[in-house]
Amino acid sequence: MSLVVEGLSKNYSKNLVALNTISFSAKKGECIGIVGESGSGKSTLGKVLVGLENYKEGTITYNGAPVVPTKRSRLREYRKNVQMIFQDSSSSLNPKLPVWESVLEPLDNFKECSPAFLEGQNLSRKETAEQLLIMVGLDKELAGRYPEELSGGQKQRVSIARALSIEPSLLICDEPTASLDVTVQVQILNLLKDFQKKMDMTILFISHDIRAVTFLCEQIIVLKNGTIQDQFGINELYHKSRHPYTKALIEAASIQ
Amino acid sequence: MSNPIISIEKLKIETRNGSYPLVNNVSLEIKKGEIAGLIGESGSGKSLTARAVMGLLPVNMKNSGRIVYKNSDLSALSPKDHRKFLGKEIGIIFQDYRASFTPYIKIGKQITETIRTHYPIGKKEARNQALEVLGKMGLDSERVYCSYPFQLSGGQVQRASIAMVLALKPALVICDEMTTALDVMNGEKVLNYLEEVRKETGCAILMITHDLALAYKRTDRIYVMQQGEIVEEGLPEQIRCQHQHPYTKKLCACLLSLPGENFIINERVNDL
Amino acid sequence: MDTVLTKSTALVRNPNMLGGIILAVFLAGVMFLGGALVPYDPFKIDMGNRLQEASTLHWLGTDQLGRDIFSRIVFGAKLTIGLGMLAIFMAVCIGVPIGLISGYIGGRMDAFFMRIIDGILTFPDFILAIAIAGILGPSLTNIVIAIVLVRWIVYARVVRGLVLSEKEKEYVLVSKTSFSSPIKTIRLHLLPHVMPDIIVMAAIDVGKVILLISALSYIGLGAQPPIPEWGAMLNDGQGYFQVKPSLMVYPGLAIMVTVLCCNLLGDGLKSHFDIRKGRQEL
Repeated sequence: MSLVVEGLSKNYSKNLVALNTISFSAKKGECIGIVGESGSGKSTLGKVLVGLENYKEGTITYNGAPVVPTKRSRLREYRKNVQMIFQDSSSSLNPKLPVWESVLEPLDNFKECSPAFLEGQNLSRKETAEQLLIMVGLDKELAGRYPEELSGGQKQRVSIARALSIEPSLLICDEPTASLDVTVQVQILNLLKDFQKKMDMTILFISHDIRAVTFLCEQIIVLKNGTIQDQFGINELYHKSRHPYTKALIEAASIQ
Repeated sequence: MSNPIISIEKLKIETRNGSYPLVNNVSLEIKKGEIAGLIGESGSGKSLTARAVMGLLPVNMKNSGRIVYKNSDLSALSPKDHRKFLGKEIGIIFQDYRASFTPYIKIGKQITETIRTHYPIGKKEARNQALEVLGKMGLDSERVYCSYPFQLSGGQVQRASIAMVLALKPALVICDEMTTALDVMNGEKVLNYLEEVRKETGCAILMITHDLALAYKRTDRIYVMQQGEIVEEGLPEQIRCQHQHPYTKKLCACLLSLPGENFIINERVNDL
Repeated sequence: MDTVLTKSTALVRNPNMLGGIILAVFLAGVMFLGGALVPYDPFKIDMGNRLQEASTLHWLGTDQLGRDIFSRIVFGAKLTIGLGMLAIFMAVCIGVPIGLISGYIGGRMDAFFMRIIDGILTFPDFILAIAIAGILGPSLTNIVIAIVLVRWIVYARVVRGLVLSEKEKEYVLVSKTSFSSPIKTIRLHLLPHVMPDIIVMAAIDVGKVILLISALSYIGLGAQPPIPEWGAMLNDGQGYFQVKPSLMVYPGLAIMVTVLCCNLLGDGLKSHFDIRKGRQEL
């Protein structure tokens, strides 16, 4: 088990419970989908897991070590392994920086990382960035452009390149395809799937789109009002023991 | 079925300085009680078509061709006369729900005012109608009625804005990416209510969306739009299973299948 | 080269900006070259020539001590404008970092700075500047100190507000998850975001501060005679206003032109940045 979450709870105020005793675990190289409607706490869960927000009760352990967002030295070790991709491709890149500078930010902070995909020695910073862009299927000419000159899909690819640059073993994706066109969505999902296989990465895929989740994930967790309603493997999707809420979600997404 | 509620003939939209057309040769018609889906990717001109019907094109664009709504050609009208059709005759629901309400007036008041601008009824009656439509959208009507927009979640505001449009009982509703900002469950609720209103009033609906699953499931007829032109049209089953045009094929291949939905060959779409 | 050209034509097409730039170039010329070019020593008293009308010898006439007004105004430009810019520069240097840190880190640090600012804000800034200058004693240095102490809070507050809305943006969150230090996140992402607004504010503020310095000098708290600061010149000329209004008119005009220049530049820059912002959001 690489990521183990036990009894995780968080509330914003006394009456507003964001997460309520969440427990689950992920094996290395596994892809877990977290499905829920807006307000279900799924984005909060992502932020807590990546250490952007504090939590009140429960434990998170990664590879046996507890994750405490307040201790900076521990956090560094964790961040080296865990990266996140956000929903809004337009605001996940600084509009005032050229793409290549944005891409390099994690790698600049973890200089000891020498990712396997970098070919050649003594690359300049810009060359490194160009290689990262090529890795996610972008033209290296884009390195010098600004985010406003890129399409939504291209920006999301840049975000992926940035997140993968330090070769994390756990990637948390918060609705990475929600703001994209259908054809681009499929490209991005395929890209993630390829990297997951290649790097043997664990992915937590947060989405309200059950189709995208079933495309990528083997395990699905259904979240509602901060509580886990249902947790099952992909081949039990239509099993009659599914929670009514899960059934409603599938019903809403299906064509018939 | 009778005459179409609206028929668009050879609509062409171009910028005033005359570069190549953004929308070209678009013809479609919607009959009473029909839901037509207009699908395509961003930049394909779906929203511009809707704006032309509403007479709300940006100032630097002009349209040619005919837009016939119940026997009157909208495109020949002056902007002022055109605007008279909006609201009571043609309602539009936008994707961006935040812009639908003035932030510092309570939602209930905005809805009743809108109803009373179009129908000569008393305050009480308007209030009752507002509460009714809010309730039908699956909202806690009393609470939403007395709330300011910022006190509600995005989904709630979007449903309230849809309630406001539908409260006027328009004969044609244009939904421009209506459910994109909502999640599946909320989107489903909204669509169910739209269905109900359609059965009740027999209004026609133009559903502009990029969500194929939604179009397959909810529409009576689908128009596929690519780069300003309609490349294919047909019944949902035809579009889904017997599509002709390569672009339609590409779009359909992008609909990820749920396990067990074996009618789609879920091939890899690398060569897009 | 091309982009430089299009940028500069875009700048020039904006009439405010064009006017501001022309005035600024003119004023900068006066500031840096004026001292060498003036025909008379601005401090030289010549009682035989007092209160002369404008003539080819003395372009704007002479004052009650026979000093050449034109020379004094040109000489005073460096002092007045320079001090205004210095005061704003210092206020920006104090206010912006405090605003950035206070907004980004939040918590107790934020509360601490905000209470200080609230405290200072309860006084009108002119009164406060008078009080500080009064305590420290009348001199130009003290005036600048007083102005800096009053103005930095404006920058701190504006920057804090901008940071508060920007720090929830996803690229800032990504910066955090990339384990950038808070200082790096601020420098790389937040500082460039607030800079355009600060530049616009500072440009307009220089004008305001020149007015403030002149006003304080006018009431005797700033520059002391015989320093040819424009506000002090107004003060000097006050007693002779009925006999010879030009003693007050010319320094007043000089102040007006400078403030106008700052306002035009500020407005021009503002619409320039707004256009750029608008393009980004499309």
